[in-house]
Amino acid sequence: MKPTETLMPSARTTELVVEELPGEILVYDLKRHRAHCLNRTSALVWRHCDGRTPVSEVAEVLEDEYEVPADAEIVWLALDRLRKAKLLDDGTELPAEEISHSRREMVQKLAVVGGLSILLPVVASIRSPLAAQAGSSTTNAQCNQCIGVGLPCSDRPGRICVARTGKQAGTCRCQ
Amino acid sequence: MVSFGRRYGIRTTDPALIDRLVSVLPPEVKPGRPGNVACLYSLLAAGTERRGKVRRVNLLYGDEVPLTRSKNLEVVMEVLESDLQLQIAEWARGRVFVHAGVVGLGGRAILVPGSSQSGKTTLVRALVDAGATFYSDEYAVLDLRGRVHPYRKHLSVRDGRGGARKIHPEALGGPVEAKPLPVGLVVATSYRAGATWRPRRQSPGRAVMELLAHTVSARRKPERALTTLRLATSGALVLKGVRGDAEAMVDSLLSKAAAHEPSAA
Repeated sequence: MKPTETLMPSARTTELVVEELPGEILVYDLKRHRAHCLNRTSALVWRHCDGRTPVSEVAEVLEDEYEVPADAEIVWLALDRLRKAKLLDDGTELPAEEISHSRREMVQKLAVVGGLSILLPVVASIRSPLAAQAGSSTTNAQCNQCIGVGLPCSDRPGRICVARTGKQAGTCRCQ
Repeated sequence: MVSFGRRYGIRTTDPALIDRLVSVLPPEVKPGRPGNVACLYSLLAAGTERRGKVRRVNLLYGDEVPLTRSKNLEVVMEVLESDLQLQIAEWARGRVFVHAGVVGLGGRAILVPGSSQSGKTTLVRALVDAGATFYSDEYAVLDLRGRVHPYRKHLSVRDGRGGARKIHPEALGGPVEAKPLPVGLVVATSYRAGATWRPRRQSPGRAVMELLAHTVSARRKPERALTTLRLATSGALVLKGVRGDAEAMVDSLLSKAAAHEPSAA
């Protein structure tokens, strides 16, 4: 079977918060506490991950959307990035040969046709911060260099970075 | 006491410390009627009396959890202030707290999200010196429509030798606003000596991610955080890049903020 005749995998649907934006999708993974921003291409591919649509058909949709030649390589590349971000059904396996072939093909095509770069699928991810990480704090190592005097030490719960006095003036510690 | 719809309590073994305790309360904390509280802080003061060779320390608990112990009362007060502030930021009803500096200009807010030591305060001060109005040095407090409210905590200004001193917002000289503002500009930046400010404009999705990385309740209420941040950034210009001296980039920021026509939310 040709790779373009392969059907799309299924998108993960559980424990996700999805926020649609113009041309992008934001996905929050409640299980791993990671947030992902899918650009236009990866968003479009993700929306078509229904387990039924052929990969070749999604490539055609991309072509219509961007009005530039698009083929299955782009779709495979997007699927690979979505799988790494854990946004496909658990246990989804993609054909390794197609993925590495897609990467090589894309690099070669981009070198020849620069305009194709708008097609590149991107999944930008961040780890969602713990409350204490999102607040003002310093670390023990920073405090030892007197960076963050007066702030809580995030890696020493209940301690605060204090400038020492007396014989130890000029040094600091989390206490 | 009550803050953003949640009740907190503080008790101490030393009544002489009550004024000190009141002085470290974060902004937007109001007196409340006695009753059930979400968190009860207990300060067991060391006092001045010394019994033989026994060293007496101040103990601070949040509910039954020991938060800190120290002979130095200042340290205990700092931990109390910081823990209470974080509790309020994480659990506030109807508000999303983003760790960011905020100023107002021309009816819109400029947000400078960033972790500690990223130079937020320096940039906020430079913007106020250039005519912007002070909103916050610590948190951008967003309502569920994405508008920013002032959070007038004192500013912690580092003295360059590792120390920090506290300045009251009014001491900056500029007016202190109370009106909620829509977000006009988000500046995601960190300081690097000698760097030149050459920012890149961020897409709406990346803009939300920049703020989410500094949102206190991101894990507790991700759905509310994402929706609020999307609304907050929907008409805003979002720029990202490293910066050198704050003064060198302020003119560029102010002109970009003035020239940006917000898109329809």
